[in-house]
Amino acid sequence: MIALEAVNLTKRYKHSRQPALDELSLEIEGGQIFTLLGRNGAGKTTFLRIASTQLMPTSGSVTVLGLDVVKYAGQIRQRIAVTPQDAETIYPLTARDHIMLSLRMRGMEKVAAVQKTQAAIEALELADVADMNTDWLSGGLKQRVIVAMAIATDAELIFLDEPSIGLDPLNRRRVWDQLARMKRDGKTIVLTTHYMDEAEALSDRLVIINKGKVVAQGTPQSVKESFTKRSIRVEVGGTFSEKDLEPYGRVLTVAGRYRVLTDAAGAKSLGEEAVARGVSIAISPVSLDDVFVDIVGEAEKGEEDGN
Amino acid sequence: MGTSRLRSLWAIMYYLGFIPMLRNPLFIPFVFSSPFTLLFILFVASGGTALPFGIAGALTMVTTELGLFVGTDLASYKIQNKFQDIVVASPVSPLVYMFGVALSELIFGTPALLVLFGLMAWHGASLVTVAITMGVVALLWVTTTSIGFFFSAYAPSTQNAFIINGFIATLLSVLPPVYYSVSKLPPVVVPLAEILPTTEASSLFQGALGLGYSITPVFSFAVLFVAAAFLLLLVSFKMKWRET
Repeated sequence: MIALEAVNLTKRYKHSRQPALDELSLEIEGGQIFTLLGRNGAGKTTFLRIASTQLMPTSGSVTVLGLDVVKYAGQIRQRIAVTPQDAETIYPLTARDHIMLSLRMRGMEKVAAVQKTQAAIEALELADVADMNTDWLSGGLKQRVIVAMAIATDAELIFLDEPSIGLDPLNRRRVWDQLARMKRDGKTIVLTTHYMDEAEALSDRLVIINKGKVVAQGTPQSVKESFTKRSIRVEVGGTFSEKDLEPYGRVLTVAGRYRVLTDAAGAKSLGEEAVARGVSIAISPVSLDDVFVDIVGEAEKGEEDGN
Repeated sequence: MGTSRLRSLWAIMYYLGFIPMLRNPLFIPFVFSSPFTLLFILFVASGGTALPFGIAGALTMVTTELGLFVGTDLASYKIQNKFQDIVVASPVSPLVYMFGVALSELIFGTPALLVLFGLMAWHGASLVTVAITMGVVALLWVTTTSIGFFFSAYAPSTQNAFIINGFIATLLSVLPPVYYSVSKLPPVVVPLAEILPTTEASSLFQGALGLGYSITPVFSFAVLFVAAAFLLLLVSFKMKWRET
């Protein structure tokens, strides 16, 4: 079953020359974790806000759970929940208050709300701080409270805009565990993230968006494999200059070192050149991070060349 | 209104009004501070004779501030907390949300209003008069809450909303004949003062406190009804629930 479908979705903000979304089309299967990747300002949040009935599209269509977001927003809202980007907790409410508010305002009865709140508190390991004023909590704990407000609702489709921002690796994994549990329960999860490891670990499918357009989509593995022309990463140091490396593939600069994304033949000849120069290199398969930088960098380079 | 909507309304009132008031009672003197300071100054400066004007003015000012502060709250929930984003993408209707936030603000003002109604009764106002006064307070609250809603929709930041609403509160409830009779104004500015709902509300309060009506009560009620209806309509057309 298709949980969400966007067709030629375009969004133009009043004071912006570039569209935030430019004829974007994608499909999200029900019961999956779907990730939107992209640079800041790529259009991920705009997409999420339109799909979750917070923002009107300029043109194109989005159907959520079989319902058009413009015509049937009221019905869709009964079945979705969101975690907005950069949301803050409300003073002087506790973590428990926040989750209770989220459930009770949706019309849930008190007994059920109390049970679901307790379950969300335990699931996100908030028990020790559940009755503390959230102003006293660390940024990571506050973020878990905000995520718990959406997770506790048991909505069929949950939109999470950068849910693990500001969380340490352990806390990120706690959130991941919950998202995986929800998926097992048949929920559909649409999330945005800047963490490639998160996208790789969680997503059934993902899209990479650049300047409002889809530039790659598929499973994390298929997106990586589709770039067979540069499936190998070579870390290079020593006497190589960027110009020396350009003939072998795409050259990235990472923390002052060069990283070349290349194919098997390119890796072989670069290895031979390194041996000849007496320079050490490290070879490994490309990561999603490399693919992201490659795809987005290529798309932007293409646009610059076009101009 | 269905049970589910009532639950929503209650939840918003309880978690955004009752709980903050109980956990941080320092919010309450904040509502008392300006209106009761002016009341006190009038009381002392007049040797007690201007107390009824002070009560009428404080009732008007408390109600006006409670309405306008709703705008500041809404701006904060929308811009700072992003709580409104969570609400928009949920089954909660805009009407329930706004009414809930407005009532949660009113909860903070309840102690101040109770003290003022008590002062009215102590000053000799009958129960019927106090009840009518409550009706006028309700009308003025709808009007000023609508103004708060309206500005919250266009405020670019929480700070901006706070400053704008503070400024409007002064324009509506300190400068006009709220703590004094409209008859004290130069005739040339009287028509300007008489189109303000706060002037009309205060005139009705002054009448209820035995000071005599400086404006015909029918005219005052008419202005209050028209202002409340007009501003509610304006808000319903201009409020941005789903953004464009």
